[in-house]
Amino acid sequence: MTATLLLAATLALPLALLAALALPRLRRLVPKALALAPLPALVVALAAAPLGLAPLLDAGSAMLLGAVAFLWIAAGACAPMILRGASDAPRLAGWWLLTLAGNLGVFVAADLVSFYLVYAMVSLSAYGLVVHDGTTRARAAGFAYLALGMLGEALLLMGFVLAAAAVPDGSLAIRDAVAALPGSPWRDATLIFLLAGFGLKIGLVPLHVWIPLAHSAAPLPVSVVLSGAVVKAGVIGLLRFLPFDAAMADLGANLGMAFATVGLVTAYYGVLVGITQSNPKTVLAYSTLSQMGLVAAVVGMGLAAGDAGAVTAASLYAVHHVLAKGALFLAVGLAAARRSLLVLGLTAIVGLGLAGLPLTGGMIAKSVIKVPLGDGVIATLAGLASIGTTLLILHFVGRLAAKASGDAPMPLALRSAWIAVAMAALAVPWALAPGDAVAKALTAEAMWQAAWPIGIGAVLALALQRFGHRLPAVPEGDVAASGTALARLMQQGSDATARLEAHLRAWPVAGLSLLALALVLSLALGAR
Amino acid sequence: MTMTVFGLCGAALVGIGLYGLIVQAQPLRRILAFNLLGGGVFLLFGVIARRGAVEGLGSDPVPQAMVITGIVVAFSATALAISLVVRLKETGRGDDEGSA
Amino acid sequence: MPAAALDPGLLLVLAVMLPATGAVAALALPGRWAGRIAFGLWPLGLAVAVAVAWTVWAAGAPLHYAVGGWAPPLGLMLRADGPSALMLLVAAIVIGAAGLYARADLRPEPGATESRAAVVFWTLLMALWSALNAVALGGDLFNLYVALELLTFSAIPLVCLGGSAKTLQAALRYLVFALVGSVLYLLGTALLYGAYGTLDIVLLSGRAGPEPAAILACALMIAGLAAKTALFPLHLWLPPAHAGAPPAASAVLSGLVVKASFFLIVRLWFDVMPGLSTAAAANLIGALGAGAILAGSVMALRQARLKLMIAYSTVAQIGYLFLMVPLLFGVPQAEIAANAAWSGGWLQLASHALAKAAMFLAAGLIAEAAGHDRIHGLDGVGRAVPVAVLAFTLAGLSLVGLPPSGGFAAKWLLLSAAVATGQWWWAVVMILGGLLAAFYLFPVIGRAYADGTAAFARPRDARSREFVVLALAVAAALLGLSQLYPPGLLRIGLGSGLAGAGVP
Repeated sequence: MTATLLLAATLALPLALLAALALPRLRRLVPKALALAPLPALVVALAAAPLGLAPLLDAGSAMLLGAVAFLWIAAGACAPMILRGASDAPRLAGWWLLTLAGNLGVFVAADLVSFYLVYAMVSLSAYGLVVHDGTTRARAAGFAYLALGMLGEALLLMGFVLAAAAVPDGSLAIRDAVAALPGSPWRDATLIFLLAGFGLKIGLVPLHVWIPLAHSAAPLPVSVVLSGAVVKAGVIGLLRFLPFDAAMADLGANLGMAFATVGLVTAYYGVLVGITQSNPKTVLAYSTLSQMGLVAAVVGMGLAAGDAGAVTAASLYAVHHVLAKGALFLAVGLAAARRSLLVLGLTAIVGLGLAGLPLTGGMIAKSVIKVPLGDGVIATLAGLASIGTTLLILHFVGRLAAKASGDAPMPLALRSAWIAVAMAALAVPWALAPGDAVAKALTAEAMWQAAWPIGIGAVLALALQRFGHRLPAVPEGDVAASGTALARLMQQGSDATARLEAHLRAWPVAGLSLLALALVLSLALGAR
Repeated sequence: MTMTVFGLCGAALVGIGLYGLIVQAQPLRRILAFNLLGGGVFLLFGVIARRGAVEGLGSDPVPQAMVITGIVVAFSATALAISLVVRLKETGRGDDEGSA
Repeated sequence: MPAAALDPGLLLVLAVMLPATGAVAALALPGRWAGRIAFGLWPLGLAVAVAVAWTVWAAGAPLHYAVGGWAPPLGLMLRADGPSALMLLVAAIVIGAAGLYARADLRPEPGATESRAAVVFWTLLMALWSALNAVALGGDLFNLYVALELLTFSAIPLVCLGGSAKTLQAALRYLVFALVGSVLYLLGTALLYGAYGTLDIVLLSGRAGPEPAAILACALMIAGLAAKTALFPLHLWLPPAHAGAPPAASAVLSGLVVKASFFLIVRLWFDVMPGLSTAAAANLIGALGAGAILAGSVMALRQARLKLMIAYSTVAQIGYLFLMVPLLFGVPQAEIAANAAWSGGWLQLASHALAKAAMFLAAGLIAEAAGHDRIHGLDGVGRAVPVAVLAFTLAGLSLVGLPPSGGFAAKWLLLSAAVATGQWWWAVVMILGGLLAAFYLFPVIGRAYADGTAAFARPRDARSREFVVLALAVAAALLGLSQLYPPGLLRIGLGSGLAGAGVP
């Protein structure tokens, strides 16, 4: 009971601040206090074991919750800088706190219904953040975000209903639903809906278009939390809802392998499209796709093998991504103010951590996912993805350097947030690494394994620098353009419905329909 | 025999009423058609009451009570509809979107 | 009968007669009294509804009262089971909210006398309430016919309260189509009486079997009632009528009036003729409901005007109610009340009543602030009427189906039933309906909260009205929490409960 209350406290502060927005006296203070809102969550995450929260918040969830809360604090400190005046402050604060509460909630929600609620909160409220600038571009991105977000909600609702239907005593606890899943008569359908719903959230191809659009159109602190923290709602969903259970091993093999394949396709796809982009934020958004694709590969292989170790490995990898991606986005803000070699250099190191650069936190993250990936084709391809990551990150640093100009002072909040998050990205994975992972990573053999893909990636990056102008120009959101074809199709469907409906609303047609209904119904009732 | 004639008359009235309701475009004609339709249904109620009488229940008073109530309801409906038509005439038909 | 003074069944008489007396008194007394009478009666009526619900729930059995001491088949019986009690409660709440809203909306300018529209509104609101309660409590099919007609006659003048040619046309169209529906219903009762010699629901359920007369009667009655419920494709009258009426009237029309005829469909289908349903018929009704969900949602998406969009959303939301029929097909009568689809359907009825009423009232305030209801011109209206926009949002969350709203719980229950019976195609339709609802509602909400350059005026007496609307929307948004407790009330009445209800 106490444990449940402690978990609930993580949401209490954001929601209390949200309520404070309704009071005219406090309204002006709330936007300045955004950085404080995630503090209880950070405390709960750090002290989960001593507080006895382990049964409700497993180790993987706790570390991911901590990282997410930390990034929200850093971004919250920078949030006031995007305000244009007093009028939009309460609105930004409102959407911010709702998104934050939902984002923290996905880690602590214990039953299906509250999970669905907080998941909808984080997905849908972020719309208000994406369109904050009110530009046409932001609105278009917001629309894509909301449309795919709702599609994800719909897929998950079906998945949850199916999962709950299999629980014998009608319990709605996530734990019970996961336990009942392997024996469910609707097992495959449930898994497909869950994988598709959460897969959409983490941007798996082909449901990824909203990520590049939204993450680049949003204001900077919003991009930081969207790419760093909000996307992790999908990761934690996968980790909490999938049965990584030996009983599933043979049953889940096909689905798991399929999911891992989609993940790998996404990992490479993100790199290939990302290197054609020139906006640094868009490049980072594609890097998020690529990284989440790798997480999906780990999850898929874990599901296929029924390996519960995949949960911890994927969590640790995601923790590193939260911090590293946060630091990279924050660097975009710094570079916009002033060209600084320190910023560019540290950004390159943190960014290459995503490729597993030796001695960075990323190296540990990369080495722990090797276990669940196994040693087949998928593992090899996942390892080679580091080459692509290097290429993409160096492309990003190049774009950042090209855009960096001016000699304005870097905002203090932004600078402190960036330093803190970047340092955390380098250090935290070492502290969280399980067992002998650190010792294993520090051998010369491991160093070499980590270093050579980066070398190849660097050579490719030089080539890209040279010949990059020959690459085709891919629009931001790549296949979003083909979305217009889909939109046209939907428009035609809508027009056809409208014509039919107008016809049915004509008086004689409606009168005849009424008589026809009476007749057909009597025939149908008589057909026994 | 009379019963069958009454029943057929009732059915015919229902048919004419429904036809009129569907094909007529003018509100007043539709209201008249509704009254024919209602008349047909009341006639059927009468047949049913009569049939109860044939089966030795005396004259079944319940359908008759229903018919009386039904006539009152139909009368009110007609009055309401007519008053709407009158108001519409007074207001002047604005746009002719979807004749009532 | 001195003993009858203690009969809890008298509550049922009160539920019908209190508002009816009010309506008659409002006609007899000078105009300024109409509003006062309505306000004096509302707490009493609400108390009666609560008392009925409490008595039914505490006793675990339906309440009944034989009017004048005459038992069926000759006399008329008033009965209250679980769903009736739910209808009474929802009606009292929505009518109260609409009344409170209208009090500010229709209040005469200082110094002016009560307008004709205000007197008409209050009188008809009470008449409508009485008729709604009579529909919920009626135990005799002919009696229900009269109640349904009273309901239609008090609803139709509300449509054209504004008096413009457009609303008069809408009202006339509504009236004539509803009359065709009632005649079909009446024809059905004539056939049933001819075949079984009674129209009492309980007696009929014991006597009626799948004979041709019963089948034809049932088909005619359901079709007639479907016309009054505006079930797709019989919805031609609903959008202009509900969109053209004043906000308080639209709230009652969309929230309550269409539910009354649906209530009778459920009565007929599950109480009167439990053995009559066939797979083909149940699927036909379900298909029309699915058509309503899809076509209504697509049409709502295409509307440029807020009130028309909300009206088409009603067409769509009505569709969910009808999915109860196929989802409960084949369930033995004794188990229906415990089925998820049963609770889901009734919860959908209640939550849509609250949410849609809140939405129409909020839209009224929004339109008043903007001076129009074109969706494209509403950017930034949230600054003029923030609480109304918040209420609109909360009501929208219930229509889309996000927890903890009643709409979510209803959809969850209906989806579970679809999964459990393997009828996944209804689940697909429901999910699509929620998706489409998000697509037509969220852009409006987004615009209302966005920055805008248009100037909006804060409406007169906005504060009190805004909070009425918010209370209604909050109720809709939290209604799903009622599922945390066993929904005992809705299980009272069907099967074993009804069979012993007041039949000598």
